[in-house]
Amino acid sequence: MTARPEVTHPPRSRLGRGGPFPWLLPVGLTIALFYLIPILDALRLAFTDASLLGREARFSLDAFGAMLGSPALGTVLRNTGVYVVASVTGQMALGLVIALLVVRGERHRLPGMVAVRTIVLAAWVIPGIANGVLWQMLFSEAPFGAVNSTLRLIGLPPVAWLSDPGMAMVSVILATVWQGTAYSMILLYAALRTIDETLYEAAAVDAATPLERFWFITLPELRSALLVNAILVMVMTLNTFDVVIALTGGGPGRATEVLALHTYTTVFRGFDLAGGSVLAILLLMISMLAAIGIAAALPRGEGR
Amino acid sequence: MTLRPTAPAFASTLALAVALAGGAATAQSGDLVTRDRVGPADAGNVLTFRLTAFDLYSSDPATAEAFAGFFTDMILQHPGWRIETQLQTGAIAQEQARIIEQSLAGRGPDCAMVDSSQLAAFKTAGVLAPMNDFYTEEELADFFPFVREGITDAEGNVLAHWWFTDLRVLYRDTSVIPDAPETWDELQAAGLASVEAGFEGLLFNAGRDEATAFDWLAHFWAQGGELVDEAGTPVFFEGDNREKFLTAVQFYADLVDSGAAPRRVTSISNYDDMLAAAAAGSTAMFIGGNWMFGQIQNTLDAEAAANWAVSPLPGPTPDQRATGTGGWTIAALSDDPGKVAICADIARLYAGPGNAFQRLLPTQTSLFAEFEAFDGPEFDVFVAALQDGVARPGVAIYPEISNQIQILLGEVLSGASDPETALDAAAAAVMAAYARQ
Repeated sequence: MTARPEVTHPPRSRLGRGGPFPWLLPVGLTIALFYLIPILDALRLAFTDASLLGREARFSLDAFGAMLGSPALGTVLRNTGVYVVASVTGQMALGLVIALLVVRGERHRLPGMVAVRTIVLAAWVIPGIANGVLWQMLFSEAPFGAVNSTLRLIGLPPVAWLSDPGMAMVSVILATVWQGTAYSMILLYAALRTIDETLYEAAAVDAATPLERFWFITLPELRSALLVNAILVMVMTLNTFDVVIALTGGGPGRATEVLALHTYTTVFRGFDLAGGSVLAILLLMISMLAAIGIAAALPRGEGR
Repeated sequence: MTLRPTAPAFASTLALAVALAGGAATAQSGDLVTRDRVGPADAGNVLTFRLTAFDLYSSDPATAEAFAGFFTDMILQHPGWRIETQLQTGAIAQEQARIIEQSLAGRGPDCAMVDSSQLAAFKTAGVLAPMNDFYTEEELADFFPFVREGITDAEGNVLAHWWFTDLRVLYRDTSVIPDAPETWDELQAAGLASVEAGFEGLLFNAGRDEATAFDWLAHFWAQGGELVDEAGTPVFFEGDNREKFLTAVQFYADLVDSGAAPRRVTSISNYDDMLAAAAAGSTAMFIGGNWMFGQIQNTLDAEAAANWAVSPLPGPTPDQRATGTGGWTIAALSDDPGKVAICADIARLYAGPGNAFQRLLPTQTSLFAEFEAFDGPEFDVFVAALQDGVARPGVAIYPEISNQIQILLGEVLSGASDPETALDAAAAAVMAAYARQ
């Protein structure tokens, strides 16, 4: 056996007198410049009566009362909850299924696995607005609408995809899941590739069924990746408004108006910069609380 | 120091002179109009112009070429100047709000296209420069009254040039509906007749878009309804206006509930959807903009297109008619007189030859007579309908009123709410927003 050379760390002084801080300064400044300052600015505007119409902004708490006391906010938050929970669940479940299929296909050396990954990713690179327009054409309720025409061909009745308030939300969720699945698939695919093969070999020796292998090996091994994925997808979905504005505009009525779109409308239709800032801060708080909640379930000290 | 040309250089100069003489217009347009500039690249004076993508940078080559020619002719009248062009995206509300915000911060364009529905917000923000010095009394008197009122402020300053207007009319396939409906009842009967003939009924915008509110407002205005009072305070939900408002909402609800219009109208928020339905032969009647007449002629085959006719929007009675008039303006956002002069000339090229080329409705009476492009019989209908034209109120709260009307119509037509409840919610939201302006 060859003795491994002892690893020596450079003395602390070689990092400079300031310790690690000078090395962290560039990234700290970048975060402050591009993330912290805009957040602080939104926070500042929330405590004013700022308007896009040019009036001089003064300190005021009115925006909080007006936005948080608005009767529309309850509907908007309910829509947002349904949209985010359903979309995140859909994206993660579909992403996991596709990732499992791709990994299994690669294990069996099936041809076309790279093509499958690429096709799924293609949906992800489509801009949200284009995605919304695309699904609007598919879900069109005109006699020549693509999906309804297909339903008629196979003898099924057409569906009011965009004009029925309930179905409009389903349509928005479907469009979001279709686009966002690729992200979950890639993340979970990478995690699946790191699972030690010997665990499955041992399970096979124990005559574990595929379902048991999935339940007792795959899912526990993916726990961290699933939780991290859930945080990222949830934050991205909470901030989504491009797909919604292109597909339904938030309608019919307010049936698909989510918090991000409500914020956009408040600023650009109502010219209410302070009100929009309050809603943006609310969106940030919801994102942070949900992320902290999910992160609390992350396993500690496992290094995975 | 003067350089004498060498032989090759002289030959090149001669060739260039011949080329310029032979194809001056093409060469000038090609050199002077690029994707972000009009005029010589080395011109010392610069005007920034923020425009939409429907004309100079149209995806239709013929339109782009025609406007390149108009701009070339114009910029040649202003030696030493170039125009830096900046495109607005299709997100109109966002783009217009951005121009206001940038102008307040001193970073806005010198000249910009402003949606007529947003003009009040620009006025309120105080970012528009008076253009009085560049319009004669005769020119101002030539504008339609609602246009003149829209572009001037309380002191009589001209703050924009409203270069084209548009209006909403009823389109019908005369092979299915021979006679133009004149009243709401006749319109509903015609819609039901078209459904019996195998079509999907009357189509109109009822999704979440400004077009929905604007199209529907014609029915409110036809009864004499008013959105705001003289002071600009929203009043559409009280007194006589409330009754008129609810009557107009009920009219739309009856169209859908009776089957004269399909319930899918709540998902229509784009005039192109109705053009597609007309082209596919799935509808025989829709409420659209005047500009769609040309689109129908260009999209449908000649025989089918010949069946389509326009008529004024029906009213509650034949004598109670109204139609929403919109359009775009061009406004100066710089105090530099040289820039304001060029901005006014840009507006004139759009209002005159530009409108004639695109067959958009001019806002000055004299232009209808000046250009042959406005000689078609459809323009007789449009000009007659303009007599009942109503512009959106010039108040900054209008976009929020429009937003709430869109929500209200969507909720009522989809069965999620009743007109009374929806109106109360809309009124509360508008007044809350108004209090914050």
